[in-house]
Amino acid sequence: MTREEIKSAILNMFKEIFEIDNPGLDDNLREMYQFDSIDAIELIREIERLVGSELNLEEKDQAMGIRTINQIIMYVESLFEARSIRVN
Amino acid sequence: MRDLIVTLIIWLYFTLGFVVFFSPFYVLAYFFSKHREITFQHLNNYFCRIFFWIIRVLSPSHQWHIDEQVRHISSSVIVSNHLSYLDPLLFISLLKKQKTIVKSKFFNIPIFGNMLAWFGYVPSDAYGKHSQIMIKNMETMSDYLSSGGNLFIFPEGTRSKDGNINILNPGAFKIAKRCRAPIQVVWIANTDHLFRPGKFLFNTGISNHIVVKRIDTLYPDQYDQVSISELTLMIHALLGRKENESLINVNAGCNSNCHS
Repeated sequence: MTREEIKSAILNMFKEIFEIDNPGLDDNLREMYQFDSIDAIELIREIERLVGSELNLEEKDQAMGIRTINQIIMYVESLFEARSIRVN
Repeated sequence: MRDLIVTLIIWLYFTLGFVVFFSPFYVLAYFFSKHREITFQHLNNYFCRIFFWIIRVLSPSHQWHIDEQVRHISSSVIVSNHLSYLDPLLFISLLKKQKTIVKSKFFNIPIFGNMLAWFGYVPSDAYGKHSQIMIKNMETMSDYLSSGGNLFIFPEGTRSKDGNINILNPGAFKIAKRCRAPIQVVWIANTDHLFRPGKFLFNTGISNHIVVKRIDTLYPDQYDQVSISELTLMIHALLGRKENESLINVNAGCNSNCHS
């Protein structure tokens, strides 16, 4: 997946699942949209679907600390890279 | 003086009673139970049932009206208003299989924090070192609920200072939606008259009616198409309506029965 495709998938996820429409890429999701721990766990599940494999505990822990859309995009990129899927 | 004696007896049971009478069972459950988390929850239930039995015996002027339907709730996310520190203990005494969300700071207390995690209780904030407890609980919540467990939550987040329903935190409804669990809306009244916020002593001498009543059930089919924010507003309206009814009842009661 390209970075743009990841971004589009993430933004779509936020609209459909978290009812957050077009958040700024650097907005603090927790402070601005009340994106809480329960949402973060739901996000992990959706990211697992996106990358097509389960995340290990360390990766899940990392995800819980994410605050912005840009961080999520970078995080998903790193997951793809770790799974040897080429990101353009 | 009576309040002080009753309070001391109640807290003596809560602390020393736990250590002397219950902790051996918790230790046994820790080492030998095949379903440790559930066994702990049953023990918590027994412990709290005795706690309220003592309160009832020592404070007979407080009458208790517990809706039998509440005792039989299962496989549900239970949301309720929150008036007193007694409220969570009351739910634990009514539900054999129960989880709840506990303020994260309590998970930092040595031993007690570990026990909360063993009970399957969920930290309110999963950032930092609590994240693994939260992740484990959320990943198994659906199975836990479908096997008859309950998750009770006070979505106001904290006790209401004035009895009015505060803004609700949507977390409970997110979990219910995710697990496709019924949402049971429960109303608690007057526990704050027995154990007043900010006070150390139980208020044993007054005449009081403590009420725990299920006021509505929303099934997944009913709320599936509703957004989290709309669902939150719906539940807030249900609790708010009950609050208004209570005020009307109190006022009506006072018109005929109260003397200034």
